[in-house]
Amino acid sequence: MKTSSLTSKALLGIGLCFATGLARAEQSGPVDFVRDIQPLLESKCVECHNPSKSKGKLLMDSGEGLLKGGEGGAAVVPGAPEKSPVYSRVVLPHDHDDIMPPKGDPLTAEQADVMKRWIAEGAKWPQGLVIKHKTEEELKALARLKEKLNKLESIEILPGTLSLETQRDSQRVLVFARFNDGTTKDVTELSELKVANAQVASINGVHLKPGQDGATELSATFNGKTATAAVKVANGAKDREVSFRLDVMPVFLKAGCNTGGCHGSARGKDGFRLSLFGFDPAGDYDRITREMSGRRINLAIPEDSTLIEKALGEVPHSGNACFDKDSHLNKTLIEWISKGVPNDAPEVAHVTGIEIFPKQAVLEGQGETQQVSVRATYSDGTDRDVTNLVVFMSNNDPSASVDKEGRVTSHDRGESFILARFDVYSVVSQFIVIPEGLKYERPKLVEANYIDTLVNEKLHKLRILPSGICSDQEFLRRVSLDVVGVLPSAPEVSEFVADANPKKREALVEKLLQRKEFTEMWVMKWSELMQIRSTENNQGAYYKNVLLYYNWLADRIGKNVPMNEIVAELIASQGGTINNPPTNYFQIERETLKVTENVAQVFMGMRIQCAQCHNHPFDRWTMNDYYGFMAFFTQIGRKATDDPRETIVFNSKGGESRHPLTKAAMKPKFLGGDEPTLQPGEDRRAVLAKWLASPENPFFARNLANITWAHFFGVGIIDPVDDVRISNPASNPELLDSLGKKLTEYNYDFKRLVRDICNSMTYQRATQVNESNESDKRNFAHALVRRMRAEVLADAVSSVTNTPTKYQGLPLGARAVQIADGSVSNYFLTTFGRASRETVCSCEVKMDPTLSQALHFMNGDAAHENIKRGKVVATLVNEKKPDQEIIQELYLRTFGREPLPKESEVVLKQIAESGEPRQVVLEDLFWALLNSKEFYFNH
Amino acid sequence: MHSLCQGNHLDLRVGQSRREFLYAGLAGGLGLSLPNLLRLEAGMTIPDVAKVDAKADAVIHIYLPGGIAHQESWDPKPFASADYRGPLTPVKTNLPGVYFGEHFAKTAAIADKLTIIRSMTHGEAAHERGTHNMFTGYRPSPAIKFPSFGSVVSHELGVKNSLPPYVCVPQAFGGVAGGESMGTGYLSTAYGPFSLGSDPAQSNFAVRDLALPKDVTEQRFNRRRGLLDAVDAHFSSLEKSDALTAMDSFYQAAYGLVSSQKAREAFDLNAETPKLRDEYGRNQAGQRLLLARRLVESGVRLVTVTYGGWDHHSDIKNGFKNNAPNFDVAYARLIQDLDDRGMLDRTLVMVSSEFGRTPKINSTNGRDHYPRVFSVALAGGGVKRGMVYGSSDALGGEPDADPVSPESLAKTMYRLMGINAEKRLMADGGRPIDIVNGGEVIEGILA
Repeated sequence: MKTSSLTSKALLGIGLCFATGLARAEQSGPVDFVRDIQPLLESKCVECHNPSKSKGKLLMDSGEGLLKGGEGGAAVVPGAPEKSPVYSRVVLPHDHDDIMPPKGDPLTAEQADVMKRWIAEGAKWPQGLVIKHKTEEELKALARLKEKLNKLESIEILPGTLSLETQRDSQRVLVFARFNDGTTKDVTELSELKVANAQVASINGVHLKPGQDGATELSATFNGKTATAAVKVANGAKDREVSFRLDVMPVFLKAGCNTGGCHGSARGKDGFRLSLFGFDPAGDYDRITREMSGRRINLAIPEDSTLIEKALGEVPHSGNACFDKDSHLNKTLIEWISKGVPNDAPEVAHVTGIEIFPKQAVLEGQGETQQVSVRATYSDGTDRDVTNLVVFMSNNDPSASVDKEGRVTSHDRGESFILARFDVYSVVSQFIVIPEGLKYERPKLVEANYIDTLVNEKLHKLRILPSGICSDQEFLRRVSLDVVGVLPSAPEVSEFVADANPKKREALVEKLLQRKEFTEMWVMKWSELMQIRSTENNQGAYYKNVLLYYNWLADRIGKNVPMNEIVAELIASQGGTINNPPTNYFQIERETLKVTENVAQVFMGMRIQCAQCHNHPFDRWTMNDYYGFMAFFTQIGRKATDDPRETIVFNSKGGESRHPLTKAAMKPKFLGGDEPTLQPGEDRRAVLAKWLASPENPFFARNLANITWAHFFGVGIIDPVDDVRISNPASNPELLDSLGKKLTEYNYDFKRLVRDICNSMTYQRATQVNESNESDKRNFAHALVRRMRAEVLADAVSSVTNTPTKYQGLPLGARAVQIADGSVSNYFLTTFGRASRETVCSCEVKMDPTLSQALHFMNGDAAHENIKRGKVVATLVNEKKPDQEIIQELYLRTFGREPLPKESEVVLKQIAESGEPRQVVLEDLFWALLNSKEFYFNH
Repeated sequence: MHSLCQGNHLDLRVGQSRREFLYAGLAGGLGLSLPNLLRLEAGMTIPDVAKVDAKADAVIHIYLPGGIAHQESWDPKPFASADYRGPLTPVKTNLPGVYFGEHFAKTAAIADKLTIIRSMTHGEAAHERGTHNMFTGYRPSPAIKFPSFGSVVSHELGVKNSLPPYVCVPQAFGGVAGGESMGTGYLSTAYGPFSLGSDPAQSNFAVRDLALPKDVTEQRFNRRRGLLDAVDAHFSSLEKSDALTAMDSFYQAAYGLVSSQKAREAFDLNAETPKLRDEYGRNQAGQRLLLARRLVESGVRLVTVTYGGWDHHSDIKNGFKNNAPNFDVAYARLIQDLDDRGMLDRTLVMVSSEFGRTPKINSTNGRDHYPRVFSVALAGGGVKRGMVYGSSDALGGEPDADPVSPESLAKTMYRLMGINAEKRLMADGGRPIDIVNGGEVIEGILA
């Protein structure tokens, strides 16, 4: 057979001659099946009359089916329309019980007529053609495709190389088309697929099947464009034994048997337990084959095994039917039981990774579909198409949903990630849905640096127009609050606005980066991540040690020591907690499990807690990874000294990390990296420190970059920043990659990264939205309105009202940002969500508004008392400044802008009419300014 | 899906879910042709949201964080062997054949006012996940943040008598243990809890900033409000964001409190007689519960009280000795107090915890996390008096009869409050989500 199946060829016909055809069949001339009949059958008949549904035992997906007919005899009698139910039952009166189709609109007169003529002309059906149901949405999508064909840029076969091993192997082929407007389309079923050497492999539908061993090429042709992919076949004539780990375990994952709510629960369900998401195949094998022997597995009659009966729903089952009798899942189980439930030989390959195709798609309009396929690679160098064993999920169904077979359907405009899970691996594919026929022209935007290029590229894919650039006042206020945590003073505002230097924004960023408040801001942020806090009950660190620890950090950041060096020094630190303060890191948290988790969460952004007890359900981390990583921290020795406040942290050279299931002592293994070779007694933390903060650990730089980014945008590229996982993907992976690479290139000097960020147009966007970017929160199409964080807000109130505050351990008038100890707080800071540093979680800093905050500004001392105490208004009044000037001064102080004329008028009117001294009214204005959102939000 | 195979997100999110149909249906309004829409509707199973009558005006949700052992409290196993029975000696209640744990003698004497559910069950054995189940009625999801009971009640029922509808005593606990379970989830932060921020047990307890400063008259305050409106107008005209809207609504709530003496007094424990305060107990349990009663009496819809630490992995005997007696006194007094005031029938008091604890005493004389079966105590607000609903097996290891899921418990609580949990609320991106997905109202306990 030289060509591929007829199916693809015939379908190709539709792609090209399909129009809005459904309604408009040709009135004269011979009937063309592909043009006139196929769309009718596809939209009106095949939904119910297909092999999986076969209503009335009638199949209408092939010519044979029509001739064979169903319960009522042949559906088509060629040449005799009146005797053919396919015609006679569609022309019945609309309210007749037997009318076809039973639901939805009946066929129009034209449609019925063309059907009649087709049968009269002999009901010709292209040989071998099998058709599938298409919704009107899909038919519309096809029509849309036709209009777009002139924009076709390229087609590609996915995966790009195809290899088949053993007789049972098969690989789904995707043909993926790209258009010059950035959109994509699954054209697999519309392409002509051909294998160059049909001896080596053949195409069955969209699946490539092996023949003889050898190499050949697969080509796909669509609308005049051709793509090719290399094909390799090995052991094509041999069969592979069914394997418990490779074939049976995936069934439990795919069918949902081993999820936490069902048999994957720690106690199992209804007397049957499986390991959660299959983290313990050996244990599962024992439980399936050794428990309830003779019943759960019935070797004599495999179909009578309880395992099978329950899964098929043939006997009462809390989880109801999980799959069909005819499904490949059931066939696998039956085959395995028939072969005598063999366990795997030790050398059976294991999965080393999975890939998803396509990795990104841009669908235009609703009802577009794109099949995704997933390929697993194994330790013996083979690969398998596991699309039908994968669990698919979409993180945003309203935009793109995915069915169990991996078919993605577009809905509303938006972006979603399709997650595929197989074995212990998860991968995602990004799907962008844009509205059909959107009036959009890519705007020409000024780009300051790589950040803008990458952000704008993403916005273009989403067809989102970014907001404009913010005003000078807005920029000055925003960048001051973000970089140094301080409001600009009134003279600074006037000066900056008046400055004629076209590069004044860059100059401002430069000036701010040199201020000590910039370092203080980041010392505070890192203190949160390093949990710098004292405890009263001596369970952790003493206050003095905490101060030393804080000063060490402040010193390092102040000297602009690169972050990788600071982190390496911290993780490898040894010695007394007073002599060498970073050792307090291991004094504040002394539980090995916690230290392991904290290091992963803070320096790599990973939450690996789940893998302490079972494989991570939504990420790649296994228990092996967890306990391998923990092994770096099992040899931390701690001993007391003469000074009760000081503990010595040292390398105890002993202590192993034991896997709770296998009880094996795990060798230290970098999280997501290699197993380093270690000498006995070698300091494991020193080895980890070297890797952790190096380019070999790709997570480190990206995580740092993301933390920095989130500070300036209020939301991370991955958000929250410390929850990096495959199922919580970056909204702009290219951007995150670039920022990480830049940071490495900058030798981990994050100040340079901050400079890039602040100088980007993206950072300088206005908060005001347009219609296209209104709902965007993750793609940086506009600036987000963010409440000031607790410390910055407290400092802003102090400086605006001229009321220095006293914090424990700091001189009067010091800033809240400078507080060393996480346990030091006051009502204001706690109410506005200051991190207590009890955990490393980024959720410690709370930014949500609350009623307590409103009450505190309204009635508490934040505004009212501070206005009286700081005497800002009183002084201005005593200086006999005119009303207008005082109003202006107060606006500049709090808002960083001049009052609008109508705003001044309101106040002047109050002064004139209230009969109160002007100081009272002006203080009320000051109260109002402090209570306004324009003050305590950064915008 | 089986009702107890709850929160299996794989099933929820894959395939022809109800939601998927709904979206397609929504699209219909935007140009989907009629036959298609009809076909989709045929597959839709959206129930009509019927109005339900409220049996309760308020809920006091007492939460015992850490996971209280059901064996030492609501569901002792006096006839099990020592390593299952535990170190404490159960006491008889005033219900025939029903025992409570050793430190619940006062509660045992009012057992005829309670409904104990002994067959709660779910699948989450981690604190933050279990807490999430018991505060939202949903299993935690990686994609959706769910609102707490209090936030849903705020959203559905709104403000009464100028008091915040959802109050946390002493505060919403956050951090890792609490997760974000007590928050607003996908709802606007405007429906977030009002946290007292200080403990009613402190002798100088007062909720801060409720009243105007002494030197600000009402007239002056009105001028301030007027000026604030004028000052805010410019910014509000330019900016839109949930945080801003939420802050506005908190200012409205604050105005309400400022202008209502009566509302403010709800927070004033000194208005109670010293005798009653003593009877509740001058401790955290006593004063927190007493304040909760004052709050619901004045119009708060849902008060969440947290008390104690019940994560007794070791030395469960002393753990209970330290935590339970004060709770016993306060709780029994609260139920009696509500009953005396004729409020019990209109106030649902729910005592819950994230999970129970393992049937067998462990090597450190404690019990470990155990969500498979545990207990919840309900009283008043339309539930029966003097009932034990469901049971655990002889060792407290599995539900023996009438298992109750967090979804069912949540649904029942909402029903009593007059909220039909089949209703959908709108999450980000126009995504409608059921208040509770799955579960059944526990008809057997309704009075």
